[in-house]
Amino acid sequence: MSAFAAVFVREWRLAAAGGGGPAGPAAFMLAALALVPLAIGPDPDILRAAAPGVIAFAALLASLQGAERLFGDDLSDGTLELYALSPVSLTALSVIKAGAYVSAVLWPAPLIGFVAAMAYGMDGPSAGALSLGLVLALPGLALVSGFAGALAAGVKRSGLLIALIAAPLQVPLLVFVAGAGRAALEGTGLAGANLMLAGAFSLAALALAPFGMAAALRGRLE
Amino acid sequence: MWSAFANPERFERLAARLVPWFGWGAAILFAIGLPWALIISPPDYQQGDTVRIMYVHVPSAWLSMAAYAGLGGASFVYFIWRHNIADLAAQALAPIGAVFAFLTLATGSLWGRPMWGTWWEWDARLTSMLVLFLLYLGYMALRAAIEDERLAARAGAILAMAGLINLPIIKFSVDWWNTLHQPASVIRLDGPTIHMSQLWPLLVMALAFTALMTALVLMNVRNMSLAKRAEARARRRIEGEGT
Repeated sequence: MSAFAAVFVREWRLAAAGGGGPAGPAAFMLAALALVPLAIGPDPDILRAAAPGVIAFAALLASLQGAERLFGDDLSDGTLELYALSPVSLTALSVIKAGAYVSAVLWPAPLIGFVAAMAYGMDGPSAGALSLGLVLALPGLALVSGFAGALAAGVKRSGLLIALIAAPLQVPLLVFVAGAGRAALEGTGLAGANLMLAGAFSLAALALAPFGMAAALRGRLE
Repeated sequence: MWSAFANPERFERLAARLVPWFGWGAAILFAIGLPWALIISPPDYQQGDTVRIMYVHVPSAWLSMAAYAGLGGASFVYFIWRHNIADLAAQALAPIGAVFAFLTLATGSLWGRPMWGTWWEWDARLTSMLVLFLLYLGYMALRAAIEDERLAARAGAILAMAGLINLPIIKFSVDWWNTLHQPASVIRLDGPTIHMSQLWPLLVMALAFTALMTALVLMNVRNMSLAKRAEARARRRIEGEGT
């Protein structure tokens, strides 16, 4: 097994097992989405109109939940220094971490998004478009959260700081995912464009964010 | 050529010489621009006297964006060449840019009340300005949270550069969001093209704001640079006594 694969397997298993794995963000998202109707009232029309935005927003917040642990633990217990000595570069490590975070922790978000969209009264196809938008946006959300996590690694109680850093940078994803759901719901024919833009943002984040994370981590290791 | 100013002492001398020019320049430009904009220039045929808010609002908006571009540029220079002056410039620009962004939002809100009939409109420009303000806050919070100075400078530089790359995307996405989901009846700030009698005072005010910001940044950087060197000297003296 190559070093890359070995590190991925290790990171994946740690992410899946530690801190409840996918259960944490999933439960958070469910709780948030269960509270929304209580906050804005049970009117089906309002709920249906609000659904895409609220669901995309809940997924964004859920993606921030685990960002603190992404690099913070490895930095405090010295694992990061061992990684720096390993043949896997810090840039590759950042890709691995974000990939493991998506595939082990965040993966329920599109499913929960789909179920919640149906429960909020969206029709099947538009709930599907919203869910697909979440699938396309998850890598971008994870990479930006990871970027903020790498910058704030080693800071005490970094959760709030990570949210403050990551949230403005994630604005485009929020707009495109919610836009995809809403466009499908209203039948404006722009759902496809929104989906492609969400995917494009994720790809751009994949091209750039790992270098930013590696640079931030290198500073921590000096 | 630019690396010549990475020498703190040379920069401090230069800044000390430039500050009065920009400071007095700003004072003179304000002395001309403020009465011109607030009293002499004609009220707008549609907006009446409220249009005078523009002379503070628009320069603030320009400068809040220019300051972020400067923040990103200075961060880039610091990140690549490790010139401390560039980091100090970034550190000085952030709060000033944040204040201008806040001023833009506040004056926009005051302007929106009589013109749009609401304090806040989820207009594309207002919203992206709000996101810009949040980016400034995130940058300052990150720097404040990291105790090690060099580490804070480095992390801040990376974040500022990421923000600079992402800013056009945010702007685009917010415009897109807005055209999709806003009723088209919203009164736009950019309705008719601006009349010359309003353009000139606006340009004078913009120059005045720019000179003011330049003077403030130069003063701030010089102070921080001096404080840093004084601290280093004090530390050397204490260490010298210890041996």
